Amino acid sequence: MNIIVCVKQVPGSNDVKMDKVTNTIIREGIEAIINPFDVYAVEEALKIKDNFGGKITAISMGIPKVVDTLKEVLDLGVNSGVLLSDRAFAGADSLATAYTLSKGINKIGKYDLIICGKQATDGDTAQVGPSLAEKLGIPHTTNVSNIEEVGADFIICNRSTDEGYEVIKIFLPAVITVVKDINVPRLPSIRTLKSAKNAEIFIWNLRDINADKNYTGLKGSPTQVVKTFIPQYDTGTEIFEGTNEEKCNKLALRLLDMKTLFSI
Amino acid sequence: MDNNIKILEDYQIEYLRDESRRVGSANTISFPKTQSEVVNIVLSLVECQSLITIQGARTGITAGAVPEGGHIMNLIKMNKITGLRYDEVKNDFYMMLQPGVLLTDVKKILESKNFDTKNWSQSSIEALEVLKNSGKYFFSPDPTETTASIGGMVACNASGACSFKYGATRKYIEALKVVLVDGNILELKRGKTKANGRNFSVKLNFGKILNGNIPSYNMPNVKNASGYYAKEDMEIIDLFIGSEGTLGIITEIEIKLLSKPAFIYGMTSFFRSEEAALNFVRAVRGDSGEEITKPAALEYFNHNALKLLKSQKLTNPSFNKLPDIHSHYHTAIYTEYHGESKDSTMQMLMDATVFMTSFGGDEGDTWVATNDRDMERLHFFRHATPEAVNLIIDGRRVANPSITKLGTDMAVPDEYLENVINLYNSSVSEEKLESVMFGHIGNNHIHVNIIPKNIEEYHKGKELYNSLAKEVIAMGGTVSAEHGIGKMKTVLLKEMFGDAGIMEMIGLKKLFDPELRLGKGNIFNYS
Repeated sequence: MNIIVCVKQVPGSNDVKMDKVTNTIIREGIEAIINPFDVYAVEEALKIKDNFGGKITAISMGIPKVVDTLKEVLDLGVNSGVLLSDRAFAGADSLATAYTLSKGINKIGKYDLIICGKQATDGDTAQVGPSLAEKLGIPHTTNVSNIEEVGADFIICNRSTDEGYEVIKIFLPAVITVVKDINVPRLPSIRTLKSAKNAEIFIWNLRDINADKNYTGLKGSPTQVVKTFIPQYDTGTEIFEGTNEEKCNKLALRLLDMKTLFSI
Repeated sequence: MDNNIKILEDYQIEYLRDESRRVGSANTISFPKTQSEVVNIVLSLVECQSLITIQGARTGITAGAVPEGGHIMNLIKMNKITGLRYDEVKNDFYMMLQPGVLLTDVKKILESKNFDTKNWSQSSIEALEVLKNSGKYFFSPDPTETTASIGGMVACNASGACSFKYGATRKYIEALKVVLVDGNILELKRGKTKANGRNFSVKLNFGKILNGNIPSYNMPNVKNASGYYAKEDMEIIDLFIGSEGTLGIITEIEIKLLSKPAFIYGMTSFFRSEEAALNFVRAVRGDSGEEITKPAALEYFNHNALKLLKSQKLTNPSFNKLPDIHSHYHTAIYTEYHGESKDSTMQMLMDATVFMTSFGGDEGDTWVATNDRDMERLHFFRHATPEAVNLIIDGRRVANPSITKLGTDMAVPDEYLENVINLYNSSVSEEKLESVMFGHIGNNHIHVNIIPKNIEEYHKGKELYNSLAKEVIAMGGTVSAEHGIGKMKTVLLKEMFGDAGIMEMIGLKKLFDPELRLGKGNIFNYS
């Protein structure tokens, strides 16, 4: 089975700086890690490869140092990596990212399954996986918490919902996004480290993937971050005195006043 | 009475215990913030001759901080880093701090280099500028419990996994200021005050001179935290390191920092037999005299430890992230390597791998960490064994409140590695006691944790512990390699040095604390 895993390099801490002009994250020079959700995506791909054979390609869009993240996943047993890197890709929102990834995946060519982490911890949109599927014209399902069965041209998986889970049969090729704790990610071994020495990372730019610069990066982003801030939480305690009935009346009036409660 | 001395209230019951779970008693407590507050409290207590138990963060496990009546002096509010020093000649950095600073704070501040320099001297501020331009530095003693105070670490000469390479806390203490029980202050700098043979002389702050004798016993040639440090021509500062709060109150410490290794890689290897694992240990340790780069840490997990972890993984969600261990493996060894380049550090791992496969290990069944996230998982695995033992004991205490974990802390010289492991194995098996073994095998320092099911097994375990100590001493080993004697191993220390050795230690203590008021119950009992 040929599997593609999408991985993203994200800031290692919440202490990030924003570019004042574009309102995008300044990624250069800060400690970066692999998006935690993507670690689970990689492990799920490796489990399928262990059981059914095949190849795994990891793909990422990012600045040149994202090669480090790809090397990390090669060390786990992923067969090869692709980095889509070009100034034209910078500042992309989830749609432009999905477009760029889809062009990169088209260049990779044959694949049966694309696995993404549910969301990235810097953007938290969870939109790239589904958008990518639409760009590629293939089905998708999200919030996968378990893969029950892998067939020649389908998989059966559990999809987490607020009420419990759904059992989904999806025909390949398809995109799935996985939740944390779908598996226990493995550690590299000496064997996988040795194999990784011979594994290749390809670096492709705008032209290599035949992408249109009007749909990539900041330019190709129909959404733009206007402001990023940590919400101010008002703290304060007001105590209502009196009998229970008096206290309830006072509370109700207060909530109406704050427009938290609307009288019918 | 000094204003800082308060009656111990009911809500302050936590100050009667430490991590040994033993509970003590006390009348009063103080939380001084400065050396002069310490001096005033001490002077105030001279007249009533009150006992004084010194506390740091109370993370010790031998009841060193558990008071036996009298006054508790808790130093946790002495938590300032007071300066930095740069030695241009040696190209070394030193940090000055109060005893209540926690190890975790030292780690964080050296990462961020974001010091609060209020009240710092000009030379400290200048040293900080040099540090900011000098790459990463760290404080190498790495006990598992990072909420330990530096003062506590000095008091018991704490060690961690990487003490195999870097040594214990002792090696990194450059200077101390100690307030004695009569309010006099002793300042000690490494290299400045040495014994002459076994005699020494120290001058206190107001000019008083104390002349004393270093105990005549010989310390075992192993990783050691048992009793007073005693050696011909020794540095007097070493008397106070590991003295477990019995000689004086440490009010300022200067620690030596090391340049942080650029690359830290770890590998857990699995072996089908204990013999294969021990052969691997000897090989990577370079016992045959081969020129190899030694690991920074070398840790061992015996068969029962692995079994315990596997079963915890099935039943306990917090052990979920442990990777699976194949059932055909018997014993595991963790090696950690520190290097200055990716290639050289990776080469160290690969060299260890050659030894590993020669003793039957499999390259595909190793767990390797070359980044922080994976390293955290390997460290979690290391700490999971004692955690799992604690959980089982907590469960058993519900029916049997008087049982506790019985853990040994003994070490022997290199040539006795197999002997001591065989001794431990045969002893627990003969007594039919449940146990796990794990620890710092690089120093032949294995923790045997006996897990009693009932009070009878608990008593059997205690007797066994004592008989093991006798055999370890006969091998030239120590009864405590890192946890200290505290109040719980005084009998074992007596086995080690005999009545004569204990009397010499008491004699030395009397020089600094004539009425034997400090840290009563620690290291030795006396009436």
